[in-house]
Amino acid sequence: MAIDEHENEPKTSLGRLTRRSFLSHVGAATAATAIAPLASSSASAEAAPTEAASTKIPGTVPITLRVNGQSHAVQVDPRATLLDTLRETLHLTGTKKGCDHGQCGACTVHVNERRINSCLALAVMQQNAEITTIEGIGGPENLHPMQDAFVEHDGFQCGYCTSGQIMSAVAMVKEPWGKTDADVREAMSGNICRCGAYPNIVAAVQAVRRMS
Amino acid sequence: MDQISESKIIGVATRRVDGPLKVSGAAMYASDHHFPGLLYAWPVCATIAKGSIANLDSAQAEKMTGVVAVYHRANIGKLYRVPPAAGMSLILDEKRPPFEDDEIRYYGQYVAVVVANTVEQARAAAESVKVTYNRDKPDANSKLLGSPLTTDKPEEKSKRGDTATALKSAKVKVDEVYTTPVETHNPIELHASVAVYDGQKFTLYETSQAVVNHRDVLAQMLGVPPEQVQVITRFLGSGFGGKLWPWPQSALAAACARNLNRPVKLVVSRQMMFQNVGHRPAIEQRIQLAAEPDGKLTAVQQDYVNHTSMLDDYDEGCGEITPFIYSTQNLLVTGGLARRNVGNPTAMRGPGAVPGLFALESAMDELAVSLKMDPVQFRLKNEPEMDESLNIPFSSRHMKECLTVGAEKFGWSNRTPQIGSMKKDGVTLGWGVAACSWLAARSETQASVELRQDGSARVACGTQDIGGGTYTVLAQIVSHETGIPVSKIDVVLGDSALPSGPISGGSWVTASVTPAVLEAAQKASQALLLVAVKSDGSSFKGKKPEDLELADGMVRQKGQAQGAVPMAEVLQIAKVNSVSGQGKSEGTLEDSKPKYSFHSYGAQFVEIGWQPEIARLRINRVVTVIDAGRIMNPRPARNQIEGAVVMGIGMALFEETMYDSRSGAPINNNLADYVMAVNADTPQIEVTFLDYPDYNLNALGVRGVGEIGLAGVAAAITSAVYHATGIRVRDLPVRIEDLLPMPKVNIA
Ligand code: FES
Ligand code: FES
Repeated sequence: MAIDEHENEPKTSLGRLTRRSFLSHVGAATAATAIAPLASSSASAEAAPTEAASTKIPGTVPITLRVNGQSHAVQVDPRATLLDTLRETLHLTGTKKGCDHGQCGACTVHVNERRINSCLALAVMQQNAEITTIEGIGGPENLHPMQDAFVEHDGFQCGYCTSGQIMSAVAMVKEPWGKTDADVREAMSGNICRCGAYPNIVAAVQAVRRMS
Repeated sequence: MDQISESKIIGVATRRVDGPLKVSGAAMYASDHHFPGLLYAWPVCATIAKGSIANLDSAQAEKMTGVVAVYHRANIGKLYRVPPAAGMSLILDEKRPPFEDDEIRYYGQYVAVVVANTVEQARAAAESVKVTYNRDKPDANSKLLGSPLTTDKPEEKSKRGDTATALKSAKVKVDEVYTTPVETHNPIELHASVAVYDGQKFTLYETSQAVVNHRDVLAQMLGVPPEQVQVITRFLGSGFGGKLWPWPQSALAAACARNLNRPVKLVVSRQMMFQNVGHRPAIEQRIQLAAEPDGKLTAVQQDYVNHTSMLDDYDEGCGEITPFIYSTQNLLVTGGLARRNVGNPTAMRGPGAVPGLFALESAMDELAVSLKMDPVQFRLKNEPEMDESLNIPFSSRHMKECLTVGAEKFGWSNRTPQIGSMKKDGVTLGWGVAACSWLAARSETQASVELRQDGSARVACGTQDIGGGTYTVLAQIVSHETGIPVSKIDVVLGDSALPSGPISGGSWVTASVTPAVLEAAQKASQALLLVAVKSDGSSFKGKKPEDLELADGMVRQKGQAQGAVPMAEVLQIAKVNSVSGQGKSEGTLEDSKPKYSFHSYGAQFVEIGWQPEIARLRINRVVTVIDAGRIMNPRPARNQIEGAVVMGIGMALFEETMYDSRSGAPINNNLADYVMAVNADTPQIEVTFLDYPDYNLNALGVRGVGEIGLAGVAAAITSAVYHATGIRVRDLPVRIEDLLPMPKVNIA
């Protein structure tokens, strides 16, 4: 079993380790857009068409998904949710699973620019859709204004609900909501944050709304 | 102990160093790890809560597409028991290894596990494993006081004076029972284990609040030396105590990887989160308080019973805070455990203190009402001079100031005590207050710091960042000592191969890592100065290292900015890549004769709005004042307190895991039916830190803020509810039907 040796070697930094381990898992082709090191800006935003994990597994079917502006030909279990396909087949693990039942919002992605719970969508039914995940919004080196606002306002603690919060927030800003904090609280209530970073989430979203 | 009062970075609001990774989905949590040839495991859960397996038929499951193996008691292979815990090592709650026998003791207990090529195949096959049971009637009864206990009689936890006599002769008394239901931690990150085995060594990616303990436990269970197990938790989607100690899925994933010699991922489902990974137990507490008519407390008695599992003893320790929070000559705390057919309970945020203070602070409010005294004044009157349970001084206690500052900020002086007497915009207001406390401690810690030729530093410690901001705290401490900016400091944690660090529990990570990291940074600096005086070409050659210092990332003559040379240049001239230092700090937890009583303190003020005509209860605002030593990084610290207040609202109004009395199944086992506070439930929360350094705990005077913010919130809310409605809710959560004048209908 070829495990990248770096996985066992705690010698690198927070950022570098993350990148190296990611590279070792999925191959350099798909990694560049997803994760850049904390301390380096060299990662290219260009990603080649991918066949990530398209190895034939018994019981899977071929489909093509468009994710973050790129087509991916993959083999998936016909029962696979969009969430599991993003995470387990495309290795876009920024999208998180918190409940698998449409109850927490951790898996929020955009499908044709609208926010959805990807755990409630079957991958095979999303073949003609434009899917955007947190990786498509911005990387650590080129944060989207909403991502930057979440860091600036400390809109998270553990960070696990955060991808979903940000995907929800980016979509919410374009939806017809009122101006008040209470509107944001209402609009963001499909995304549970067990750490309870709600006041800071509202502050981050409002900061971005004021900017635009 | 040394005191460091001046700093450019300690106490300064600092952006989290791991923030960009978290907001871009690049932070790697346990279940994000993927390896070539990865297989997926899905457990089969018992559908009874008591009885035994009569037959387990996996023939059909084994034939299903993509299935690689089905493991159960007969073929899982060796999994050993773990010897009793020693200090902070070898701790786990559910001591029986999975599949050890055929008996079922709680609903959802793992009875088999399927491994397949895809997660969908594993799950479908797990659902096709046919298990028949010999079924017994389970006991999940939440009536606890008076139940048979695991001990002959309740255990005495703390005692002084003669409580029985004082209660008998008391002028004013409260004697009530308070109950708190099972609460489930429900971090948004599901527990997960990705196990990799190379024929000799296990590399385990775990959702762990304690990687070093996790390694030690898993090494024992797998029967290999600890060197052959490495546990990695780079990021944790929080835990709230539920991820402190290993749960059976970790051993299952490792055993599957071992048996198949392939990497295996096992992600627990949300349903299993209610069964297999711990919970705060159901608790009943009887509180008896007595006071003189002037409000002086004369006796405090607390008797609690919490439920535990059939095999293991989990003691919630509800008397954690009771013995020292108020002055009283007579005090007795007793506790007992009652066995139920439930999975093992475990520590949940503020274990003991949080439910304990719900009961005690509710009773204090009830006594204040009986005394016709203002509840803030009543507490101020009973402020102790010292820790009366241990007869030692408090290290740093500013409880009175928490109450007075909070009262001031809240506008407490405008409160009218009559029930339902305060109105705003047609809404009845209720104002409530509670005091709170949580322990402060250090746990033994090792850390290393490296200063490198490229001008950066690296700090390593085998602790975890579960959301509290530990990555940033470690960088701040190194930056403080060396002057290297936080942006140039790499922080490495979450790996059992690193110098052994503290568990992320007890709110003691920051207090524990501070001395060890300071020492490591000082030693690395000394090593650098030695390089400076010994290297050819160095302008400091031949000087005495003790005349030099590292300041603002530069080596210089002590106190002289002139002639300073950047650290990087010193190392480059010497052709040395890096210098390093190790640091170690002792724990306070093992101290059997402590000199000081270390705790944090706080006060919670709550306003609720009550509209009986539409049965609407809202938390309008919360004012929280916290005395938790010096605050290392105010931004995440405030965030943690606010988040804890939000959790407290959930505890008071929503959270309860309900068990079906016939099947023993947790029936609201999902995030729609187990209600937690969402964004729309969040009131205006104002957090104030008193910021008194506690130099007896460490040189920076920092304690920790992970748990204290939750303590007291529920009692302040139920007191506010009483103030608005006249109804005292003693059984959490407060239900709207508790507050409406409806005849009670008994459905038999
Ligand atoms: S994982 Fe999709 S909503 Fe929770
Ligand atoms: S940041 Fe932890 S759940 Fe939201």
